[in-house]
Amino acid sequence: MDCEKVRDRFSSLLEKELTPSEEKIVREHLSSCPECQRELGRFEKTMQWLHSVREVEAPDGFLPELQKKMGEQKKATPDEKSRGRWFNFPLSLKLPIQAAALAAIVFLALYLTKMMPMEVSRLKDAKQTSSSLSAEKKSEQELVQKEVERERRALETAPETPRPKDVEQAKPPIPGEEKMEGANVPPVKAEAKKTEAPSSKTEVMTHQAIGSKEAAGGKVLSLKPGKIEKGLVAKEKSVAAPKPPQEIILRISDREKGISQLRDLVKQFGGEMITTEGNMFLASLPTGSFPEFEKELAGLSVSAKTDKVIAKKQVTGSLRAAPVVKREEVDEKSKEPARLATDVESRTIVRILLIQE
Amino acid sequence: MKTSPKIQKEVIESCKAGDEKAFAEIVLHKQKKVFNIAYRMLGSLEEAKDLTQEVFISVFESIKDLKEEIKFDAWLTQITLNHCRNRWKYLKRRQYFNSDSLDDPIETEDGNMPKAIVDPSGNPETIYEKKMIQQFIQRALLKLKEDQRELIVLRDLQGFSYEEMGELLGLPGGTIKSKLHRARMDLKEVLERSAH
Repeated sequence: MDCEKVRDRFSSLLEKELTPSEEKIVREHLSSCPECQRELGRFEKTMQWLHSVREVEAPDGFLPELQKKMGEQKKATPDEKSRGRWFNFPLSLKLPIQAAALAAIVFLALYLTKMMPMEVSRLKDAKQTSSSLSAEKKSEQELVQKEVERERRALETAPETPRPKDVEQAKPPIPGEEKMEGANVPPVKAEAKKTEAPSSKTEVMTHQAIGSKEAAGGKVLSLKPGKIEKGLVAKEKSVAAPKPPQEIILRISDREKGISQLRDLVKQFGGEMITTEGNMFLASLPTGSFPEFEKELAGLSVSAKTDKVIAKKQVTGSLRAAPVVKREEVDEKSKEPARLATDVESRTIVRILLIQE
Repeated sequence: MKTSPKIQKEVIESCKAGDEKAFAEIVLHKQKKVFNIAYRMLGSLEEAKDLTQEVFISVFESIKDLKEEIKFDAWLTQITLNHCRNRWKYLKRRQYFNSDSLDDPIETEDGNMPKAIVDPSGNPETIYEKKMIQQFIQRALLKLKEDQRELIVLRDLQGFSYEEMGELLGLPGGTIKSKLHRARMDLKEVLERSAH
């Protein structure tokens, strides 16, 4: 038996648990191995020391203290009890709960950090869209203003003859307006150009043509009112609204005389002057008496010729209404033809440009 | 087996019924045993006292679940060992024993004692030396692995039989014996290392 095996039997040897034959072998080895003998001596000493360890007495007053503690625990609210218990829970129970809580925290953190930017970007997108829309509106308004200016210039230079082609061109784009309802903004601009630009160049345009144009536009609008998106309608309004009222160019020799005559004429036909800006007059006349007024005005003209320009605007209600409002009312009118028929207050706004010759 | 006197079956039954007097009797009978196991396992009188209180509170709360009154001692020892294990982990996490060294002054019932180096192969001890040896052993026990300390405490300090230990620890007698021998040899090594 080697030293290792002998040393493994020290406990059994001291507790007399070895079989006699085993004990004999171990004792024989020990007698011939001083190293193992020394080891056994140390082992015996350790065991002797261990067995000499006295028991300590329980602390004095242990029971009363315990009873006091138990009484306090009984008084403790259930909340306090459960809180205290948490610390005494075994780790095997506490760890999974803590892990679950950690996972929940991580998920929330990820949700807040990763999901929020997406929502923010969505908001940004929304802002951009709205800003781009307003930008588009702005550009459209600018475009319309330019068109009006160009129109004025065209009127001032007063080209003589209308071009039938232009008149014809002016008609077809109107049905195209129905595309405008669902189409993107750029095509709307294009349509606006098509419809506005040629007409502005046209000096004379018949009421019928204009009227049909309006009617066509109104019809189209009234066809699918449900499908029209509000925003797009607003856009369309902003494009179409600044269309000027009817314009007449009056060529006179004496300015003062011409102005007084014009005022008289307006009053005579039950109308009134709205504004006066140099040679530009804005008058409101009852629609019924407008053709008569027009004839009389033509009589005043030196060249016996009035220049009628652009679209006719039939305005119901307030004379001072903004262009946008007028257009809205046109829309309403197209939707409610019955109301239009009964409207006796219908008036026509006419812009009169005096040109001294 | 250096065990406290057996408690009568009737006392346990009364305690089960919630009789506080019966519970007090149980405490008085068993407090020394529980306190000693706790002290040898944790090496601190204060911790041992606190743990002993917890053990008896657990006993009072769960004695109604004890089916066989005859196994009360084993049941109580099991509760004590479980509390010791939990408390040991708790203290270890808080590095309670980090500064612990065999060279440090030793906490005893009579106060702190200076470090004493004693050669296990040395000469007959005086009373003073005997006291030092006891604390020296206590320090060395704390240097052992927890399961090794349990074996030595149960067998060599508390006098449990291998059969009782096998039941308590859920191990066969042969395994208990070999493990216990390994623990004793390790304790011898610890003592020798600290003596030189």
